[in-house]
Amino acid sequence: MALITYSKAINQALEEELRRDQDVILYGQDVAEWGGIFKVTDGLFEKFGPDRVFNSPISENVMVGAGVGAAMMGLRPVVELQFADFIFTAGDEVFFKAGMWRFMHGGAFKIPLVVRCPSGGSGFGPEHSACPEAFVMHAPGLLCAVPSTPEDAKGLLKTAIRMDNPVMYFEHKLLYAMRGEVPDGDYTTPFGKAVVRRQGDAVTIVAWQEMLRRSLAAADRLSKDGIEVEIVDPRTLNPFDRETIIESVKKTGACLVVEEAYRTLGVGAEIGAMLAEHALPYLDKPFKRLAIPDVPLPTSPQLVDAVVPSVDAIYKAVKDLVG
Amino acid sequence: MDNTKLLNVYKTSVLARRFEARVIQMAMAGEMPPSLHAGAGQEVCQTAAIAALNPEDYILYGHRGIAYMIARGTSLSAILADMAGKVGGTNNGKGGVMHVVDVPHGILGESGTLGGGFVMSVGVGMALKRKMPGRVVVYFFGDGTSNRGTFHESLNWATVQRLPCIYFCENNGFAVSVRTSASTSVQNIADRAAGYGIPGVVVDGTDPVAVYEVMEKAVERARAGQGPTLIEAKVTRLLGHYLADQQTYRPDAATILTTKDPLPKFQESLLRVGILTNALVKQIEDDAQRQIDEAVATVNAAPLLAPEAALQDLYA
Repeated sequence: MALITYSKAINQALEEELRRDQDVILYGQDVAEWGGIFKVTDGLFEKFGPDRVFNSPISENVMVGAGVGAAMMGLRPVVELQFADFIFTAGDEVFFKAGMWRFMHGGAFKIPLVVRCPSGGSGFGPEHSACPEAFVMHAPGLLCAVPSTPEDAKGLLKTAIRMDNPVMYFEHKLLYAMRGEVPDGDYTTPFGKAVVRRQGDAVTIVAWQEMLRRSLAAADRLSKDGIEVEIVDPRTLNPFDRETIIESVKKTGACLVVEEAYRTLGVGAEIGAMLAEHALPYLDKPFKRLAIPDVPLPTSPQLVDAVVPSVDAIYKAVKDLVG
Repeated sequence: MDNTKLLNVYKTSVLARRFEARVIQMAMAGEMPPSLHAGAGQEVCQTAAIAALNPEDYILYGHRGIAYMIARGTSLSAILADMAGKVGGTNNGKGGVMHVVDVPHGILGESGTLGGGFVMSVGVGMALKRKMPGRVVVYFFGDGTSNRGTFHESLNWATVQRLPCIYFCENNGFAVSVRTSASTSVQNIADRAAGYGIPGVVVDGTDPVAVYEVMEKAVERARAGQGPTLIEAKVTRLLGHYLADQQTYRPDAATILTTKDPLPKFQESLLRVGILTNALVKQIEDDAQRQIDEAVATVNAAPLLAPEAALQDLYA
């Protein structure tokens, strides 16, 4: 095991897959010599050259659309969007071309495309801070990864690159500097398998990325009060491991979803509906969500803190739930 | 273009025209969904352009008609089955006539949203350059589609990368009901090539020899790694945008059917130089009729797609 950052874990996954498979190419704005706006692709241009790692113009539509076209002809493109919010700039290409090209042509093609989407990271303003994974989860045809640790960041990205389906890979900007243990050698992390990050019996918290980190911090404080929460990290939103959440709720009888996204029709709404359909007899308490009230993310830090779920808010929500 | 190719362009254009007429007839009779955007008037142009390609080259096409697929060799019954939602089509009921796909014949499909083919073509070009050097991809689109932002992003990046992409605009003067002059900043779509530093060529789309020669040059340039060409063929859309279009915006809708149809002119020119004879004209018409009858019979006999097909083909 090696202790590396989330950012380095992504970089390693890219390097290993670029080396393993000649069909893998990597492009995006500033990703070559400069190493990307967040320096995630640092050093890859020097190792693989301009044919494999190259800059694109500021042209999100063709960046994603060309990825779909190249993927259907046998390349395995990894496209870096500078900010996850730009999936809407490239909306047609993400939702129609990547998500539907195979379907609308009767399965004639495979689309082994990965779009890397740096998300969250409050303070960048309304168009550069979102975690728009719920939109992707809602859309048929797009797989969706939301890694929360360096180990998963690397393992899920390697899986994504080897997959024959388009993957929207959300890498959280506040986690780039987070350190964690990563297994040595080649490994992959499966899609569709949630992981229980902390065991408990009081409440099931479902959270990922920065909200998982805050939920774990809240859990430490709750533990001091004698409340043990169970925390489920879904790891991928499509495929989505409903079973692990339901199994946990059977044990705890309560569920809180914490998400860094708009409240209405977010991932939490889907989890609430899923529990209503499949696990209502196990819920002893009303289902609860913490999310961003339905406003765009502001820029000023004190305003961001006012709307993004905090450790305090999670702590309080659990206290209210267990009453 | 040699005489054999020229004759083939004629045969294919006739087949496409007659097949489309039969499809329209069937749609009007309620025998299949009226989803076709008729290509009548543009077949000669489309077919002549495709004649300049090798079998291993690729195309992405636009909404107007089915001559592209016929010219590449897709079977009539497969195209018809796609339209009718029957077993035996190319896209398993997912895309109808708008997404006919035939990879062995180099047909990579169509974007339902106009101009999606631009961005796809860039990716195809990137893959061809790396994995299949020497092959080219052509994207056929209309004058209306040239106003999508994808046109700009794609022509720019395809040029920067010197990709083997050819952009073939069929300018029929209308985006659905809106005249090109009312929606478009330039006289010729090809003028926009200057913005990318690539050749922009205007050609008479009713003249198959001229279209072929222009395409030949563009293909040669693309194969040589010199990058894209923007071709604009001036054509006439003989029918409405879709089958129910009454064309109230087009006062000459009735007269152009006789004055602007390139097919009789093409036939006359081939008769004049002896490539066609009256007997051959009849034989070509009879052959087309026979092929169409066979396809209709095949598709009439084919079962409708099972409802389960709606849930298939999303993920690999």
